[in-house]
Amino acid sequence: MKIKCSIDNKSQLLDVNSNKPLNLILIEESGGTIKLSSCNSHLCGNCIVLLNDEAVLSCLIPAFQLKGARIVTFEGYQKSRFFHDLERAYADTGSQPCPHCFNSKTLIFESLLQRIIKEEGTTSRDEEIDEYAIVKELSLNTCPCLDAQEVIAIYNAAAVYRRRRRVRRS
Amino acid sequence: MYEGVRSPAVHMPKTLGDLYFASNRFPKALFWAGGTHIMSRPNYYPDKESPDVISLQGIPELRRISRTEKYLEIGSMVTFEMLLRVGRQVLSPLLQKTLENTATKIIRRQITFGGSLATVGVRYALAGTLAALQGEVEVKGNLGPRTETQWLAVERLYDKQGRLLLKGDELITRIRLSFERETFSTFRVGGSVMQHPEECVYLSLSCTYSQSVINNFKMVITFPTSLFLVPYEVGMMMSGTMLPLSSQHIGRAVKSISDEIMVNATETPHPIQLERAKRFIEASLHELNAQSLSSR
Ligand SMILES: Cc1cc2nc3c(=O)[nH]c(=O)nc-3n(C[C@H](O)[C@H](O)[C@H](O)COP(=O)(O)OP(=O)(O)OC[C@H]3O[C@@H](n4cnc5c(N)ncnc54)[C@H](O)[C@@H]3O)c2cc1C
Ligand code: FES
Repeated sequence: MKIKCSIDNKSQLLDVNSNKPLNLILIEESGGTIKLSSCNSHLCGNCIVLLNDEAVLSCLIPAFQLKGARIVTFEGYQKSRFFHDLERAYADTGSQPCPHCFNSKTLIFESLLQRIIKEEGTTSRDEEIDEYAIVKELSLNTCPCLDAQEVIAIYNAAAVYRRRRRVRRS
Repeated sequence: MYEGVRSPAVHMPKTLGDLYFASNRFPKALFWAGGTHIMSRPNYYPDKESPDVISLQGIPELRRISRTEKYLEIGSMVTFEMLLRVGRQVLSPLLQKTLENTATKIIRRQITFGGSLATVGVRYALAGTLAALQGEVEVKGNLGPRTETQWLAVERLYDKQGRLLLKGDELITRIRLSFERETFSTFRVGGSVMQHPEECVYLSLSCTYSQSVINNFKMVITFPTSLFLVPYEVGMMMSGTMLPLSSQHIGRAVKSISDEIMVNATETPHPIQLERAKRFIEASLHELNAQSLSSR
């Protein structure tokens, strides 16, 4: 199946099996430079990417859903200014995910922060996200390197930076 | 790397008519909803036997949420997050709690109502909750020029062991729930269905009472891989009973349901699973007592 999509802002023409999971496509197409897991249904949560701006487990997305899609991996996301909010939050709190799960947990945090401010120009309502929801969302990644307190502290610190962006723009 | 692995044909109908046509031509093709169950099965890929696919994602009718005077109607391709966004005024508290307790937001954006009800081999939380709420599903069969439609009570989709009774080419198109609200409901989950399904238990209970007399009581207990139990006898025993329930009443209900579990489960339940079920039944009846006393 031939599929046109964009990966980290580069358009690509893929020729892949229609039901091939996105994580395998990304690993193979990038020659290994994109770091994602392939855990054969153990639901490790280490394969998160942004698909049309929303976080997904890439092992649950088949190739046939990628026509015209915009895929951003952690490697692409870390070049965006939004990543700085999390970098600063990690530095401020002195906690950060371990190297093993850093990419996926960072993108889960990003998916929570997106509720504060979305893509440039389209702001979303600033939903109050309760602490339980934050910890639950992060539990999609099963690596135990951060405890609940650390997760909440990181989110709160990053949310302050993200809200400042919104204030500055408006 | 994956030589010899075939690339299944994927049909992407845009209307229900096209979908019936595709299903009629390719009766062995697999309906694809959110894909979360299909793709989280071990060894999903590569697989030499992968069936062709009919994706349900492009059909607007299946994504509709509508309200009639009496019912909330949910298209089978509505995702859990879409329905949660509809909000508290429309959703029964039991359904809301079940949806919120399922996976995480990232996954709930992908999980659909139809997919959640139609999985083969595992019974997920939604089925028990919709059955407890007396929900109905619209099932289309014999898809093609003479498509047949029937509305079924949700529990009629499964046998007592939770096995799906739909045929591979039957399609769930809508789910219907009455706006009549339960006076009391509770949803309990023990264990993780994805990590240890053999230890996991769901309990959904919906009940109405007026002037401390129970008039409608429906409990469903699900063991994801071995049991889907609606204990009708206990339901009948509860109907007409005064609240608060006595400890003998509660003890009798726990014993009766535990006996039914042992008779009906496909395999001997895991001791943790059985213990969780007993504790959930007891705790939910105490919770019902507490609510009825505090609302006096
Ligand atoms: C990380 C993760 C965490 C999870 N956590 C939970 C949890 O906490 N609680 C819980 O209950 N579940 C949980 N689940 C399971 C989840 O509920 C199921 O995977 C989901 O319900 C399947 O829905 P789907 O739309 O993705 O269906 P699909 O995977 O697309 O389809 C499932 C099956 O239904 C058939 N089908 C789909 N739509 C129809 C239709 N309209 N008519 C007839 N047949 C149809 C398909 O052919 C397939 O056989 C979790 C799953 C994941 C991946
Ligand atoms: S690879 Fe482990 S959850 Fe996707």
